[in-house]
Amino acid sequence: MAAAAFGQLNLEEPTPVWGSRSVDCFEKLEQIGEGTYGQVYMAKEIKTGEIVALKKIRMDNEREGFPITAIREIKILKKLHHENVIQLREIVTSPGRDRDDQGRPDNNKYKGGIYMVFEYMDHDLTGLADRPGLRFTVPQIKCYMKQLLTGLHYCHVNQVLHRDIKGSNLLIDNEGNLKLADFGLARSYSNDHTGNLTNRVITLWYRPPELLLGATKYGPAIDMWSVGCIFAELLHAKPILPGKNEHEQLNKIFELCGSPDENIWPGVSKMPWYNNFKPARPLKRRVREFFRHFDRHALELLEKMLVLDPSQRISAKDALDAEYFWTDPLPCDPKSLPTYESSHEFQTKKKRQQQRQNEEAAKRQKLQHPQQQHSRLPPLQHSGQSHAAPHWPAGPNHPTNNAPPQVPAGPSHHFYGKPRGPPGPNRYPPSGNQSGGYNQSRGGYSSGSYPQQGRGAPYVAGPRGPSGGAYGVGPPNYTQGGQYGGSGGSGRGQNPMGSSRNQQYGWQQ
Amino acid sequence: MLTAAGDDEPDPIVGPELPTEATPPRVLTIISHVMEKLVARNEWLAKQIKGFGKSLEAFYGVRAPSISIAKYLERIYKYTKCSPACFVVGYVYIDRLAHKYPGSLVVSLNVHRLLVTCVMIASKMLDDVHYNNEFYARVGGVSNADLNKMELELLFLLDFRVTVSYRAFESYCFHLEKEMLKNGDVSSLKNNQPMQESLSLASTLSSLYV
Repeated sequence: MAAAAFGQLNLEEPTPVWGSRSVDCFEKLEQIGEGTYGQVYMAKEIKTGEIVALKKIRMDNEREGFPITAIREIKILKKLHHENVIQLREIVTSPGRDRDDQGRPDNNKYKGGIYMVFEYMDHDLTGLADRPGLRFTVPQIKCYMKQLLTGLHYCHVNQVLHRDIKGSNLLIDNEGNLKLADFGLARSYSNDHTGNLTNRVITLWYRPPELLLGATKYGPAIDMWSVGCIFAELLHAKPILPGKNEHEQLNKIFELCGSPDENIWPGVSKMPWYNNFKPARPLKRRVREFFRHFDRHALELLEKMLVLDPSQRISAKDALDAEYFWTDPLPCDPKSLPTYESSHEFQTKKKRQQQRQNEEAAKRQKLQHPQQQHSRLPPLQHSGQSHAAPHWPAGPNHPTNNAPPQVPAGPSHHFYGKPRGPPGPNRYPPSGNQSGGYNQSRGGYSSGSYPQQGRGAPYVAGPRGPSGGAYGVGPPNYTQGGQYGGSGGSGRGQNPMGSSRNQQYGWQQ
Repeated sequence: MLTAAGDDEPDPIVGPELPTEATPPRVLTIISHVMEKLVARNEWLAKQIKGFGKSLEAFYGVRAPSISIAKYLERIYKYTKCSPACFVVGYVYIDRLAHKYPGSLVVSLNVHRLLVTCVMIASKMLDDVHYNNEFYARVGGVSNADLNKMELELLFLLDFRVTVSYRAFESYCFHLEKEMLKNGDVSSLKNNQPMQESLSLASTLSSLYV
């Protein structure tokens, strides 16, 4: 810190050198996440009172050393600064038991662990969407989608592929801001797509056809497929492509988007796994048919996202210019969104367990004393208990690119057996428009709209285990693709058009 | 202990394949040459200023290993089969350290440990398939725990700046070539490698680069 002149206070706060501060600068309030690879805490910075999320990087595995996932996440987050990208504030260390008396920065200063300090976010999109009784309004969906696309556009301009876009990695605070999180699988890419990248990325349900067909050269379009899946999921009120394994995933994609051929996707027949997976008979594209209940502009945009050929898929920037975001009802201001009670899965899981036990006890009791039915506890969808927060990955450690695909780990990572199907009203607007027909036809109001599969995507082969998790605890997931490549040039790819719409993107002036 | 890592046939190292007899890539020769020069200069400098600086403390061995830098790099290359580009990137890390902590010198007591740590991190960043720290520790002749400590130390010293842009990578390659030629060192030409090829280091290695 610069010395203050005599008689004056130097109130200037220097940015702490990363790794120079101890975790003791924070008071852990409670654990909000737990995974095989580490814990996430909600904590308060003692000096400022600010609430943050502390993600501990576990280093128990001596043989592997510092997890490569963490190295990647740190270096990528260091260069990304955007209101729709989670902010890594600093890294703190815990001296652990080997600290010498003076707390001298000796060789053991990292012994106790390394923590990444993030801004605190209250929810994630999946958790919020699954909140029983909660329905997103159309302007709200537009608002989230717009923020998602803006954040992703920023990443892509900075030549970073996220490679794990899904609801549980989209964090939302109580001011309605949405931020991309968990960059553990992210990597830099170069524009010419010459890289030889691993295709074992992205949670299965959100994984694009080119990766499933074995592409190792790919670009930002992979993230846009995931965005399309999320968009449809928000409007449709459930995951649209819940495959159980890679083969089934591709089949589901083809059933929805038609079977690929050289006409609609030049080069597809040369894809590594095309011959193993091509559909037995030609299938028609049925996106419009499946989602006919969406409003016109929503459907139009979705059609451009769920394009099989990655080179024809809409970019984040063009998607932001879609009519959808510029027609009534317009995206709302994040600040106008309702706030929701903050809760995190780690806590709510306990509450749910308790509640389930109570409920079961009540059932048993009911069997014995049917007349006591009224004494049952409120059903699980009682508000306030449901929020799902980030869930923490528990993937295979250190897979290599050659690792065989893993069998998806069960239907749900997110809710741990939480019963589906709240009797309450649907969470989402009945459709993207005012028609409302769809969910009702599915019995939405009476029997709930949750899919059997449950929400958390199945995990998927590859580097990433069941992952997720907003703050993404995990190193487990890392793939080992090379890292290099354009290191960023922000400002590149600026929107050349000077229309007023561009100003909406905020960051790129 | 580093000193235990002999320069002839190695102690039992479990590798998936036997090392091949192929000549090591030129980049190893160039980098070891450049590092040797740097160490020689710094040793002299350290005597003048009577100290090495503090930042690189974690990398100090008790005494300088007997294995030469060239042999040490060859050994790393031979057993870990990391891509040659890792050596350039590892060199970039050392260069970044040297600029960031000008008072801390790369000398014979720390150069080996610095190299193995840098190359390992580079390989983690660059190679799809790479060996873990335990393996690197055995190849490098240091303990697993020490290597982990040095890895962390290095990451923090670099402030996690472990990305090397393609452009930077390329200019380092040219810089390395130039160093080699400037010194009138002809070893790069010994293996019947014409000048033209020697200048194409960047393009040869860059294919490994995404």
